Amino acid sequence: MNKEVIYLDHAAATPVDRKVLAAMQPFLSDAFYNPSAPYAPAIEVRKAYERAKQTIASTFGASADDIVMTAGATESINLAFHSISGHVVVTSIEHHAVLEAAKRHEHTVVEVDGKGMVDPEVVRRAIRDDTELVSVALANNEIGTVQPLRAIAEVVKTEREKRLQQGSDVPIYLHTDASQGVGQLDVHVSRLGVDLMTLNAAKIYGPKQVGLLWAAHSVSLQPQINGGGQERGLRSGTENVAGVIGFAKAIELAAEHRVHEAERLRKLRDDMQVKLLEAFPEAVVSGHPKHRLASYLHISFPSVDAERVLFILESSGVLVATGSACAANKGTRSHVLEAIGLEPSVADGSLRITLGHLSDETTCRKAVELIIEAVRREYSRTGVL
Amino acid sequence: MSRVYVGMSGGVDSSLTAALLVEQGHEVTGVYMKNWTQDLPGMRCPWADDLADAKRVAVQLGIDFKVFDFEKEYRQKVVDYMINEYRAGRTPNPDIMCNQEVKFKLFLETAREDGAEFIATGHYAKTENGKLLQATDGVKDQTYFLYRVTKEALDKTLFPLGELEKSRVREMAEERGLYTAKKKDSQGICFVGQVGIREFLSQYVERTSGNIVDIKTREVLGRHDGAIFYTIGQRHGLDIGGGLPYYVVGKDMDTQEVFVTKNLNDEALWRRELQATSVHWIGGSLPSGSRVQVRLRHRGALVGAKVHSEGDNLRVMLDEPERAVSPGQSVVFYDDQECKGGAIVL
Repeated sequence: MNKEVIYLDHAAATPVDRKVLAAMQPFLSDAFYNPSAPYAPAIEVRKAYERAKQTIASTFGASADDIVMTAGATESINLAFHSISGHVVVTSIEHHAVLEAAKRHEHTVVEVDGKGMVDPEVVRRAIRDDTELVSVALANNEIGTVQPLRAIAEVVKTEREKRLQQGSDVPIYLHTDASQGVGQLDVHVSRLGVDLMTLNAAKIYGPKQVGLLWAAHSVSLQPQINGGGQERGLRSGTENVAGVIGFAKAIELAAEHRVHEAERLRKLRDDMQVKLLEAFPEAVVSGHPKHRLASYLHISFPSVDAERVLFILESSGVLVATGSACAANKGTRSHVLEAIGLEPSVADGSLRITLGHLSDETTCRKAVELIIEAVRREYSRTGVL
Repeated sequence: MSRVYVGMSGGVDSSLTAALLVEQGHEVTGVYMKNWTQDLPGMRCPWADDLADAKRVAVQLGIDFKVFDFEKEYRQKVVDYMINEYRAGRTPNPDIMCNQEVKFKLFLETAREDGAEFIATGHYAKTENGKLLQATDGVKDQTYFLYRVTKEALDKTLFPLGELEKSRVREMAEERGLYTAKKKDSQGICFVGQVGIREFLSQYVERTSGNIVDIKTREVLGRHDGAIFYTIGQRHGLDIGGGLPYYVVGKDMDTQEVFVTKNLNDEALWRRELQATSVHWIGGSLPSGSRVQVRLRHRGALVGAKVHSEGDNLRVMLDEPERAVSPGQSVVFYDDQECKGGAIVL
């Protein structure tokens, strides 16, 4: 593609920030040593690795001793679920990684409302005497709805206290996958009130295949990958030193710019939303109007085939995701859109626009023009308009 | 101007086919036939990518696009047929069966029910008043695969690439900026792809080992892991070491013996006379004793022959002996540029 690309899919992948890349580079070449090796240069690498973990942990109010570095959010989620044996509660709009991990346990799937919001009271009712884990993503990866995690944490805490009083020794924990929220929301673990948290470097301008699971002291994790005993025996395998150093830089930058960046993206997003709804009053915006990630605009054009719009946009250099049944996902309709009750004919006309570092006023304005043009072209082809 | 449904596979040929029909002023609908979606060991089935590419081109051309799901029928009519033929010790041609049963029957019928007046494909062939004619590009000509299509179907079929050289097709696709202009051509049988027929069959048939036997001396030269995997004329994969290569000249499915020879001139490898069955004539049968030209494999040379009817079957007397003719493969008859029909070798 020679044309200038307008990238509107930051929820799928983000480019590694130059500062992140610069921080990583020495550890891919000169400082390549195995952190477990006994000689001085390797020990320096080990120290840098430990410092990076401390940096990461401190951004969300945790201790480096309580995080396990992994190869991404999917592995972290699997590690969390692998560590418990009892019943689990998840929501119907969780990421496939959570839904699939839950299937290995007795599980209850709780429904969400039309805006993708989980009612803590519904979670409370789903908790059984043998429930050991409740898992709710901080922000949904398709429509961007941000969950009332603090209130869900209260529900879990109340249940824990009840069990204590009743003399039950069945533990109960709250896990959140905060991968999509970390660049825009406060993910301080005590303020969220969670017991386990998954994070991912790839969504915050860090490298792919680098993630972590944080678990409170009280949680006893069980390794799913055994070997040389790295990460306190919880995740064996030679440390991804450069990746973790990149993660540290990325999360540091994210924490530093979070509030400002969220505001910037919210303005851009709201402006796009207004213009698109002006052009297409029948379009449907999904996700909670208020409690929604600032970078997210999930918009459906009823009776339009979103994949066709994607292809038109792609040929003008605009890259977006569809929320619909398309060839790329082998024709499966999104479970999230089904869960929020979107009609198939509406769901199939969905675009997921997610903004980020590569977005600015000029690109967003241009993108809106091109999206309007593409959707109009499809409407006129099918004779709807 | 007609309503034309064009089979779009996501390749360059059918992409240009659709583009040309649009330029000719037809009301064109692109159709992806979803025939096979299964991954095979060592090969990811690229159907979803191909479907996306077909749709991309349809969107580029601004035409409607549909998916016809023929997976069940394809499995029954093409894949099961192929497996059963191999089991019976024959060497079938699934592409011929796919054209007969799926592309020029099921697709045609489904398209017409949906409102199409004509169908079109990116085959290299020509039609004229229900006749099937060889393509201008003699190397790419695909009439060998099309001889079992009916006259009625050909009457409703357009082959816009019939007059074009393959190299020109790519150029024209590039000139039009079609997304698939530079895409590599698919290889081999569509769904078997790069894996090879041996690996494919291994998924479906039990392996029965047997002896490799010298047809002259009856000496057992080695073992094989299934007579089903061998075809007449085959030289490779016999795995019997040393000296000159051996060629498969025959097999016995009951005893699982595979007969071989070292002699390339062995009469068992060369056939001058063929019996053929399951005869299909496109525009009516030829009188017994007619002189024709025959082709025994895709891209094979045309050789002179005489065709005699023997009940429902045919006896084909070749002017020159032909090497390695396997039961199950097709003998296709030509009168100059016209493909008259064909039959399956017994």
